[in-house]
Amino acid sequence: MMNSMNNIKEVEDLVNKTVKVLKTENIDKNQVAFEIEKLEVHLLLMVLKSSGWIQLSYLSAVDWPDENKFEVVYIVFNWEKPVYVQVRTKIDREDPVMESILPIFPGAKYYEREAHEFFGITFPGNPDYEKQLILENWDDIPPLRKDFDPSAYSARKFPSREYPQDFSVKDPNNKTLEKTEERKKRAKALRVGGKKQ
Amino acid sequence: MLSTKYTEKTKLTKDEIDRKWWEVGDYFRRNSLWLLMYCTGCCAIELPPSMTSAYDMERLGMGPMATPRQADILLVSGYLSLKTLRRLIYTYEQMSEPKYVVGLGSCPINGGIYHDLHAVINQLDQYIPVDVYVAGCMPNPESVLNGFVDLMEGIKNKTANGWKKYRDNNEWYKQNQKDALGEVIIHDEFHE
Repeated sequence: MMNSMNNIKEVEDLVNKTVKVLKTENIDKNQVAFEIEKLEVHLLLMVLKSSGWIQLSYLSAVDWPDENKFEVVYIVFNWEKPVYVQVRTKIDREDPVMESILPIFPGAKYYEREAHEFFGITFPGNPDYEKQLILENWDDIPPLRKDFDPSAYSARKFPSREYPQDFSVKDPNNKTLEKTEERKKRAKALRVGGKKQ
Repeated sequence: MLSTKYTEKTKLTKDEIDRKWWEVGDYFRRNSLWLLMYCTGCCAIELPPSMTSAYDMERLGMGPMATPRQADILLVSGYLSLKTLRRLIYTYEQMSEPKYVVGLGSCPINGGIYHDLHAVINQLDQYIPVDVYVAGCMPNPESVLNGFVDLMEGIKNKTANGWKKYRDNNEWYKQNQKDALGEVIIHDEFHE
């Protein structure tokens, strides 16, 4: 316990020494988040990588339509000290451009393709961020944006089954439950040889 | 005196002979159904208990099969996303006739809990014909086996004729597939 708190303190010192931190959030005893400027993300990730945070665990985005911003989140992990570091940065929602981190973490290639597909963020520097990865032949705005309405899309694209009649077990005219009870009673009677109980 | 063992040769037309052979074929077919399990969703978890000693699917002559060309039943267990549907149509068209489709769970029927999702289709029978649905979320092994027994009945009574429907109404199915998927052909870096 003590040890992990020390680890977080160490990360905070390192990050504050490197870049200007807008906001720090202690998520739990082995996860800490820093919100920084867009242009300093590469610097911070490089410093973190050279200090032991060698694994990019995740890269994704959050849509904040009220602020008109996308928040890009990078999560890196250190195998020596058990601390996840989240690096968050906010980018413009109308023209979402985020420089690729491919030179630092080559594994980010597919995460960036996914973020492009689901949020429409462009990643210059990644040669094939525009290729389709999960959605195929997508024909609408990126689906994880908050202004996308999945149920309207589903109603428009996939016909739903029409039922001529409503069935409900709560309907007083529905005798299904009583019939089930009868059947159970009959089955129980048969189990004891048809004798009356 | 005429022998009782002797039955007079009847003149049968070619259609009648064909029908008789089909009946013989159906008898053997319904007692040795081989499944191609397309485990798309969570209903696939009901298959291990149906196959192993608790319910023992083998006693009905059913068993898993490795490739679509050897299988009789395409078992769709659970929800189908658009990406999966595209592969499912590929698989279905590879199977040799007669072929049957069984849909497990409520998702192939009306979308189930995924009815309003952008990536999941609502009705499977718009895209490929389905012979038996097993409702439930998830259906328990008894209902799964009951569904297969229903399919056997259907083969016996010639009501399980989805493969014929697919051949006769091919344009309609193709149009529906095109409306939902845009294009059935797979374009990705692993296929090119």
